[in-house]
Amino acid sequence: MALPAIELKNVSVGFDGEIVLQNVSLTIHEGENFVLVGPSGQGKSVLLKLMAGLIEPLTGEVLIRGQNLKSLSREEKQKVVCKMGMLFQKNALFDSLSNAENIAFPLREVTSLSPDEIESTVDKFLEAVGIGHAKNLYPDEISGGMQKRLGIARALALNPEIIFYDDPTAGLDPITSRKIIELIIDLQQKNSSTVVAITNDMNRAYQMADRIGMVIDKGLILTGSVEETKHHQDARVHQFVRGDLEGPLMVMS
Amino acid sequence: MVKQASFYSLMSEIGGALLFLREVLRTLVTKPCSLHEVLLQIWRVTIQSFSTTGMAGFFVGAIMTVQFALQMREFDAMGYLGGLATSGTIREVGPLLIAFMLSGKVGAYTSAELGTMKVTEQIDAIRCLGADPIQEIILPRFIGIIVSSFFLLGLGLIMSILGGMLMGAFFAGVNPEEYIRHIPTIVTFPSIISGLVKCFVFAVVLATICTYRGYSTSGGAKGVGLSVVKTAVATMVGIVIADWMTSFLGDVVMKLVLGA
Repeated sequence: MALPAIELKNVSVGFDGEIVLQNVSLTIHEGENFVLVGPSGQGKSVLLKLMAGLIEPLTGEVLIRGQNLKSLSREEKQKVVCKMGMLFQKNALFDSLSNAENIAFPLREVTSLSPDEIESTVDKFLEAVGIGHAKNLYPDEISGGMQKRLGIARALALNPEIIFYDDPTAGLDPITSRKIIELIIDLQQKNSSTVVAITNDMNRAYQMADRIGMVIDKGLILTGSVEETKHHQDARVHQFVRGDLEGPLMVMS
Repeated sequence: MVKQASFYSLMSEIGGALLFLREVLRTLVTKPCSLHEVLLQIWRVTIQSFSTTGMAGFFVGAIMTVQFALQMREFDAMGYLGGLATSGTIREVGPLLIAFMLSGKVGAYTSAELGTMKVTEQIDAIRCLGADPIQEIILPRFIGIIVSSFFLLGLGLIMSILGGMLMGAFFAGVNPEEYIRHIPTIVTFPSIISGLVKCFVFAVVLATICTYRGYSTSGGAKGVGLSVVKTAVATMVGIVIADWMTSFLGDVVMKLVLGA
């Protein structure tokens, strides 16, 4: 069995006195495609940011390849973070930088590559995600799908071992969504990286997941394979997977 | 109960800003930022406030001259008009004016810019890409505001002398040569030091508040708007308090060290 890439041990997270996640424990293994699903506002993005080291837990431990993030110094934590990449829900592209400069940013900051090497690496990543022609444009000059691709290219620029995707198909049409998921799977297979992704589209989740985790009521109520998810007996899982309006989950109208 | 909550909130804000300043200074010492970025920020801040500071300086010089002229005519000491107006400007009005100008333009701009970066997760993205946001985006803006305020102080002073000189000639009948002649005798070294110290302290107050408010923004567009308002209020209050403190402490130091 593969070694654990990410371990959460009884983690709780809260903001302004309100608990968002309570006693969450989870292990994600090297090379695994783990997909988080669940209704909006239940803490999926918080859980992802927790794993990426952007949020500190109130209690519990977050271990990345066996290293407890809380016990690391700022410099040590930065080294661990460099081995992780993240695509944000709204891409978080640097709007004052061109598309090429967005990808060059981490290469300039972290690596000791020469300007020529950085340029060729940037070209390689832009081509890999199919937006080589938009190299000199700015993020607000390209479509939503292209912005996602650019975000993915930037997240992969440092060849991370663990990649987080926060709702990579949000706001995209079904065809572009499918292409983005295929791109993620393709890149994951090439790099043998560990992927943790959030999506609310169950078809996309089934398409990419080795395992699925469902976040409801401040915790993970399910972690299992695609088949286990489809046939889970919990009424909340059942309702969410089928998209039923009737059931124990509150439906926003 | 509400008053108590407001007091705790105020204390929490001040504490947060001081911890943030400590973090910025620590980064300045341990991980200096790119010189190119700093120069870019100095250029941006200076250019942004160049015309307004120059214009304000011109009119402040003119106002100071009119006010002093009204008093000095009674004592038949119009020859000292230029020196006194310039001394007042360099010691007090100049640094205060520059700080208020920067607070309105650069403080609000910086807070909104950083706030937008925060709510669009660009600051989280910087961290995720292995870089330090304090080093990358806060420090260049922090240094930029402080260095620019000295350039703008210089510009404001030159323009205030020019404004005062013109007003002295037209309003008080003091010729420009006479106006300038006594500036070096009345504007003493302690006056210049006092002006420079105030300029530095006000710039640090402004840079700390606007970068801290921007960096700690949350809650989307509404949060950014709130940060800008809080920055405007906090910088005005902070600068006035800092003015009182520097005046008070400056007086004590002058008496103790320089015997002035």
